[in-house]
Amino acid sequence: MGGGVAAFSAASELRARGYDGALTLLSPEGAPYDRPPLSKGYLLGTEDAAKIALAAEGWYAEHEVEVVAERAVALRPAEAAVELGDGTLLRADRVLLATGARPRPLAIPGGEAAYTLRDRADADALRGILVPEARVVVVGAGLIGTEVASAAVSFGAQVTLVDPVDPPLVPAVGEALARRLHAMHAEHGVRSIASVPLGISASGDGSHVVRLADGSALEADAIVAGIGIVPASRLAAEAGIEVDDGVLVDASGATTNPAVFAAGDVSRLRKPDGILARRAEHWEAAVRSGQAAAASMLGQAPPETGAPWFWSDRYGVHVEAVGTLDGRAGGSTVLREVDGVPQAAFLLADDGHLLGAAAVDLPLLIRAARRIMDRGLTPDRAALADPAVPARRLLP
Amino acid sequence: MSEGIDVGSPDEIEAGTARVVEPEDSGFVDPIAVFHTESGCFFALNDTCTHEEASLAEGWIEGDTVECPLHSSSFNLRTGKVLCLPATEDARTHKVAVEDGRVVLYPGVAADPARAAD
Repeated sequence: MGGGVAAFSAASELRARGYDGALTLLSPEGAPYDRPPLSKGYLLGTEDAAKIALAAEGWYAEHEVEVVAERAVALRPAEAAVELGDGTLLRADRVLLATGARPRPLAIPGGEAAYTLRDRADADALRGILVPEARVVVVGAGLIGTEVASAAVSFGAQVTLVDPVDPPLVPAVGEALARRLHAMHAEHGVRSIASVPLGISASGDGSHVVRLADGSALEADAIVAGIGIVPASRLAAEAGIEVDDGVLVDASGATTNPAVFAAGDVSRLRKPDGILARRAEHWEAAVRSGQAAAASMLGQAPPETGAPWFWSDRYGVHVEAVGTLDGRAGGSTVLREVDGVPQAAFLLADDGHLLGAAAVDLPLLIRAARRIMDRGLTPDRAALADPAVPARRLLP
Repeated sequence: MSEGIDVGSPDEIEAGTARVVEPEDSGFVDPIAVFHTESGCFFALNDTCTHEEASLAEGWIEGDTVECPLHSSSFNLRTGKVLCLPATEDARTHKVAVEDGRVVLYPGVAADPARAAD
C-alpha cells in the first residue's frame, strides 16, 4: 500500500528476490513517482511528471506488478485481506504499509489557508502561486521550506521565511554549515524571521495577514507551511497494530501483526532495546526500509543498512549529510574550511570513529564518509580538515 | 562512428578517476566518461547521469561501479546497468580498449559486456 519510493522499492525488491506470486500496488495516485523533485526540479519546472516516474511505463507489466489506483479503507489481516472503498476485499497474505505521511497542518487560527507540499498536485498548486512579485510567506525553514523558498525567489516572488530556530538544521549538518546555509537566504533576497506565526487572517482582496509572535505582521499573497509530517498510520491503528507517531516496526519492517509490515515515512523503528527511534523522514531510508520489508516478507534476512544519508538542493548548491552532526550526545567536530568558509563538517566520537559528515557541493567527501562509517574506520582529523586532501585519500 | 579516438596513454588517467571526452572531440552527441578503475581496467559510459544533470566522471569509482556524485545512483561500468534508484535508466556504454599503449575510445560502439579485463 503506497505509491512512493518505499512501496516501489519493496515491489522491485520482492521480484528481485524471486517472489513470483501476485503483487498488487495500491497506489491512489497511480504509477509511483519520486518525491524529492517536487520541491526541486519539478517545482522549478526543469523536470516533468514523466521524468519523475520511478519506473518506465512498461516496468509494471514486465514485472507483473498490478497498480491499482485506489485507497484502502481497512486492513483485515485476520481475513488475509485489505478492504477497498467500494467494499471489495483484496486478498493479501502479506501487506506492506508504505502509506507515507501527510504534511503537518499549521495549527493556528486561519492556518488552513497555508499550502503544503507532499504530492505532485501540491507542487502543481505551488507552481501557480510562486509567481513574480507574489508576497510569499514560508513557515518552517527545514529542507522543504528552504527548497520552496529557493524556488519561489527564483520565480521572482518576494519571500519571507519564518522559523523559530536560528539557524535551523544544526543537528543534521552541524552549526557551522547550518549558519552558512541559513545566511544564503539573505544573500538571495529571502527575508528570514526567527519567530512563529500566531494566526492568519484574510484580507478583502484575497491576500492574507500573518501575525507573528514577535508582534509583527506580514502581508502575504500565499503562505506555504513546511513544518514536518504526520505519518498516515490510521489504518494500522484501527487494525490493532501498535502505533506511536508512526507504525512501530523492527529493523526488518515487521509490525505487531505478523501479516503486516511497514516501511518508509509511515514507519518508526523500535530498536532491539525497546527505544523508539526518531522517524527517518528521508528518501534513502524509505528505499532501504522498503527493501528490508520485502526481504522479511519472504522470510529472508534484510540487507545491512549503513549510515543514514540525505541531500538537499537550494540556491544552486547541493547539500549532503550522512550519519549525525548532533554533538549534544558527545563527540567533537572537525571543519574543512576554505578562506574561513566551512565546506564540510565531521563529527567524531571520542574513540575516533566517524559519527557523521555534512558538506556543501562536495559530494565525494560524503561518499568517502559513508564508507569510513560503514567500515568502522577512524579517519585522520588533519586529513578531514585539509581541503587539499581529496575524498578518495580519506580511505586506506 | 566506429573510428577510434586516442584518449591518451593509460597512465594519463589516474586509476580510480575518469576523463571526459567532449562531443567536439568524439563526434558523439553526448559527453563520454572514460573510467580507469583501481584494478586497471578502462570503461566508457555516457558521462551524464540518466537521472539528472550530473557528471559520472566526477562520481565515486569503486570496483566495477561508479556512484553518481549527485544522488548516488550506481552504474555498472562494464554494462551500464543502473544498480539503484533514483536513476531508472541504464547508462549507454562505449567500447574502449588499450591498443599499442594508448587508450582508444570508440564513440557510439557499445561495449562488449563479456570482454576480459584489459
